[in-house]
Amino acid sequence: MTDLESDDSLLLEFEDDDSESISNIDAPTDSKATHLDSDFANIPPHNVDTDDSEFDIDESQFSEDDLEDDYLVFPIKKTTKDLLDEDSLPSLKYECLTTQEIFDSMKRRVHHLQPVFSLPPQDILILMQRYDWNEERLLEEWTEKMDNLLIESGLNTSGESDGRGVKNGKEFFCPICCEEILTETFSLECGHEYCIDCYRHYIKDRLNHGKIITCMDCSLALKNEDIDQIMGGASSVKLMDSSIKSFIRKHSNSYKWCPYTDCKCIIHLKDTLSLQEYSRLHASRFVTCSMGHSFCFGCGFEIHAPADCRVTDQWVKKARLECENLNWVLSHTKECPRCSVNIEKNGGCNHMVCSSCRHEFCWICGGDWAPHGSSFYQCAIYKNEDKNKLVADTPKKTLRRYAFFYKMFTEHEVSAKLDWKLGETVGFKVKGLQEKIGVSWIEGQFLTESLKTLNEGRTALKWSFAVAYYSDPSHNLTKIFIDNQGLLSNAVESLSELLQIKSPEVIMKRRTEFYNKAGYVKNRTKALLECGRDLLRKGISKARE
Amino acid sequence: MSRAKRLMKELQAVRDDPAANITLEFISESDIHRLKGSFLGPPETPYQGGRFIIDIEVPMEYPFKPPKMKFDTKVYHPNISSVTGAICLDILKNAWSPVITLKSALISLQALLQSPEPNDPQDAEVAQHYLRDKESFSKTAALWTRLYASSNGGSGAPVEKEVDEARLYGIDPNLVKEFESQGFDKVKIVEVLRRLGIKSLDPTDNATINRIVEELLK
Repeated sequence: MTDLESDDSLLLEFEDDDSESISNIDAPTDSKATHLDSDFANIPPHNVDTDDSEFDIDESQFSEDDLEDDYLVFPIKKTTKDLLDEDSLPSLKYECLTTQEIFDSMKRRVHHLQPVFSLPPQDILILMQRYDWNEERLLEEWTEKMDNLLIESGLNTSGESDGRGVKNGKEFFCPICCEEILTETFSLECGHEYCIDCYRHYIKDRLNHGKIITCMDCSLALKNEDIDQIMGGASSVKLMDSSIKSFIRKHSNSYKWCPYTDCKCIIHLKDTLSLQEYSRLHASRFVTCSMGHSFCFGCGFEIHAPADCRVTDQWVKKARLECENLNWVLSHTKECPRCSVNIEKNGGCNHMVCSSCRHEFCWICGGDWAPHGSSFYQCAIYKNEDKNKLVADTPKKTLRRYAFFYKMFTEHEVSAKLDWKLGETVGFKVKGLQEKIGVSWIEGQFLTESLKTLNEGRTALKWSFAVAYYSDPSHNLTKIFIDNQGLLSNAVESLSELLQIKSPEVIMKRRTEFYNKAGYVKNRTKALLECGRDLLRKGISKARE
Repeated sequence: MSRAKRLMKELQAVRDDPAANITLEFISESDIHRLKGSFLGPPETPYQGGRFIIDIEVPMEYPFKPPKMKFDTKVYHPNISSVTGAICLDILKNAWSPVITLKSALISLQALLQSPEPNDPQDAEVAQHYLRDKESFSKTAALWTRLYASSNGGSGAPVEKEVDEARLYGIDPNLVKEFESQGFDKVKIVEVLRRLGIKSLDPTDNATINRIVEELLK
């Protein structure tokens, strides 16, 4: 099934009206693929747009040799009629930011606003905070209220700054702590004076609230310089940080935190309107932060194509629910079907070779490997033993059906995790290529590329079982979808196996094979994603309880 | 410890101002975290004539964190839970400032009794009652004040031993009798009417009657 002709004929069946457009195959993921192994931290945060301009730059970096290979890898790129309408989707315009960058841009905006207000930047910062960094609303209210706005925001309008600031040590009775001691004090122009310790306590408590801090007794606002003066050091940074955090919380439809642990990136979606188009087409808006974490902007979950957010949500909920029901302990070890030695799976590949008896078997179905390798990948197909019984869908049968899909889902999840482990060794392999046979770094990138393709394929495969579970099994398109799963499974397995090769010489010798297999996986992944989206769009696959 | 000093000062300030008719005392000498405060129900409100006792818990971070306050005395008010006495008031939450004292917080509670905020309710049932029929609400609130907050008791113990359940929640006794005559249990009737927020009824309103019967039959 490697000939692309048969692929095309297969794909033709679910060609849609809107897939007519002649489009470039370069998916957004392609454009960033070459960055995968480079040090992300060193890349200056840039606008990660989904247009493919970046790819062009990368392509120019390839040598003549690579370019040739490149064409070998993606033969479909040349076809004028691309059947996958991936590109008919509006491209997502987004950028990856840090809180510091957001704050810097806020400061720039403050700078721009200065001629309008003719106030010190500190004061404008207070106004911006009060209006949740919403410039338009602020300007609107400003033209309406002028000085009243300043008073409302706790800014001093008298123009005098008498009495503002920290005052030298003196004998002072503080009404907050009721101590009468020799201490420094602080007050704003309002004259509400308290000891510096109480003020420190007070500010410390409020730095994380993300709101303007006022005098303890009236609504006069403390500016950043006051806070720094009282606390010492740059404590106002903390306040700005929490203010920006609350800003993000309030604008969660266009700003999202990267959900990965400890990742501090914020994705800002510039064009929220395109989201509607995405949900209409049952496509999810996947974004990648500058640390290389990809996730769905809609639900904050990992990449879950071909499933849409609803299917994902249902599936995950169901998995949580059924987990207790079934108590599925899908262990990491299995007994060799022939000699019963416990075997641990140490790579993503499902082609197992028992270390004791050399028996070759498939990890998923436990059957002999022989029928898997060359021919159709059978074990991705759920066999309805008796089609006549399908009408009488007993609860037990439903559970068994779910169990199968869930098992497939987790198997691919485990495989994907193991592939990541494999990924660590790929880095060494590229190094090995460089050191042992003098291959340049850029030339060695085909390994990293292949790994990325493999991962994308696995993820798509994994989530395709969620879509398949919710699909009407009698529909023709579902059958095509399952066929597609089989084809991708096959492609993924053979690529995964190829990536297990350790010897640098063999790797270089079989380089073309890497290209071809990765290219094939890429095409199969696209086909599966497209088919899955069709299922959802046509309502053949529907999330339900 | 500045907190102890401040609390002593606050207590002294309350004692120095007997005209405010506010009390503030430690529950025990050994624990400065727990206090009891009390104030009079504001005049010309259903709470007039009652003394309301407030349970106060002072956190470690006081006065930078607000004290926890709740009503010990049962009170019928939209912003106070009729069951637990929990209070919904902004100065006891995010609007707290260290310059607010226990005395001024108690005065704010007094003001809360004077002017309820039914749109930000703590007790939904009471708030509904207030919004639908203010007169009936006032009668119930006054009844609760008489029962639980009358100053001669002072401890919050009810004066009248037996109170009619229906009257306690401002439900028209005739309405309860009506359903009782149909053979329903009185406790259940009151429970259903409270849940549906129905205090009195137009006898021709069949839709509502049917809904009540439906609930009663459940």
